[in-house]
Amino acid sequence: MITKDCLKKAALLAIKRGATYIADDVFDAFERAIAIEDGAAANGLSRTLESLKISREKELPACPDTGWPLFFLKVGNEAMLEGGLLALEELIKDAVRECTTAGILRKTMKHPLTGYDPGDNVGENVPGFTYRFVPGNAVEITYAAKGGGSEVFGGTRHRMIAFSDGVNGIKQFIIDAFAASARAGAVCPPGILGVGIGGTANIAANLAKEAACLRKIGSHHPDPMFAELESQLCEGINSLGIGHMGAGGRTSVFAVHIEYAYTHIAGVAVATSTNCCVARRATVRAGENGIQLMDGAYWFDGR
Amino acid sequence: MAVYHLKTPLAEQDVRQLKIGDTVYLSGRVFTGRSRIHRYIFDEGNSLPFSVESANAMIHVGPIVTRRGGKWNLVSFMPTSSLRFEKWGAASVEAWKLRMIVGKTTMGKKTMEMMRSFGCVHVSPQSVSPNLWLNSIEILGVELFEELGSIEASWQLKLDELGPFIVDIDAMGNNLFETMDESIGKARDAALEKMGLPEDFSPTRLY
Repeated sequence: MITKDCLKKAALLAIKRGATYIADDVFDAFERAIAIEDGAAANGLSRTLESLKISREKELPACPDTGWPLFFLKVGNEAMLEGGLLALEELIKDAVRECTTAGILRKTMKHPLTGYDPGDNVGENVPGFTYRFVPGNAVEITYAAKGGGSEVFGGTRHRMIAFSDGVNGIKQFIIDAFAASARAGAVCPPGILGVGIGGTANIAANLAKEAACLRKIGSHHPDPMFAELESQLCEGINSLGIGHMGAGGRTSVFAVHIEYAYTHIAGVAVATSTNCCVARRATVRAGENGIQLMDGAYWFDGR
Repeated sequence: MAVYHLKTPLAEQDVRQLKIGDTVYLSGRVFTGRSRIHRYIFDEGNSLPFSVESANAMIHVGPIVTRRGGKWNLVSFMPTSSLRFEKWGAASVEAWKLRMIVGKTTMGKKTMEMMRSFGCVHVSPQSVSPNLWLNSIEILGVELFEELGSIEASWQLKLDELGPFIVDIDAMGNNLFETMDESIGKARDAALEKMGLPEDFSPTRLY
């Protein structure tokens, strides 16, 4: 049995770690970008990285916009949870409330029509929960923050592409969507561009979000056809000259990650979801013997 | 590209000399706000309960602030996108006699026109570095806290060399990001060609 206490501790650690301790693969991406930039672009990236280091040391939020709180849960098929899955969601909501009071999360979530602020980031359908069922008897809680900048200014969008346009239509949509959303630094580039191809529009959008937030930066899709498309799009976007915060530079995306689903003969849904450069995620595994911090990105393992 | 160290209250000539691409460090009194304060004043007919005469620079920001032992503690601070306040941009410059707006991204044509005629600039940080700033910002107080909440309230701040910011809209009607649009557009065409798209490719409109 995985106790409620254990699940709550796992959720608290995932949020705190995700909000304050930016992962090594993001740091490495900054280092690579700084190495190839000149002047102002290199300085801006260096300042951002310096601030991220302080966030790690002092456990301060990496960005004051702590974003939409999203949870991705890998639930072991044999996992026994005290109180069951419904208790798990309530415990995670409590963890969000506690982290908001502590200043780890900003009071960001509001009622969409009235603007009412509950003050704890918990409300109708928020935080977001996504589940995967996997072999084993543990639960892996991944917290990802989706910042307002990367979501509000067109970093996430979709279009239906005709089969007659094929991969050319897909490429053009993605390049144009990213360029428009990164103008003036709106999505806080260099972004991590997630792309979902196929499925209904919402399946594509979910895949895009997971590809942006939950894959290790620069990892490639195991299918060479999609891996090649990832490389082409990454190179194409980085030739645009948008740069860190839109002020010019050679790195506009740290990576392009594509996930796909089979689609209808009528057309191909393509969705993009850009994560900001301050990419926040952390995974904690809760099992019968306690919790374990998992550094890395495992969501798509076994896809 | 010149570097300027400016202090509020800003004079018209302080900002008229700035050109897009210049770097600015800002000191002195300023105030903050985002959507709610604009709506509260310009749409709901309230008046600003404090004077901005000596603090004529506004920062678009929603900070994280906690209360410790009766004192405000600034946890995190980074400007937010000014694009979303475009509806109220020109009115804010005119009504509050702003000489500078500090925000992320940029603003639109109406605000740019008001900035040109009144003498005001928009500046933005070219990094996401909240922790490098915490020692440069002192919280003097807060206004409209009950009405708007801690994120949307107007924090009254004293800055000590906060920056660097880049001037992205100057008071001559120029916008840094507009000057980049043409080169990005050309690079976009070249990238698509390299990726194998025919020059005359035109997507099928499904809706």
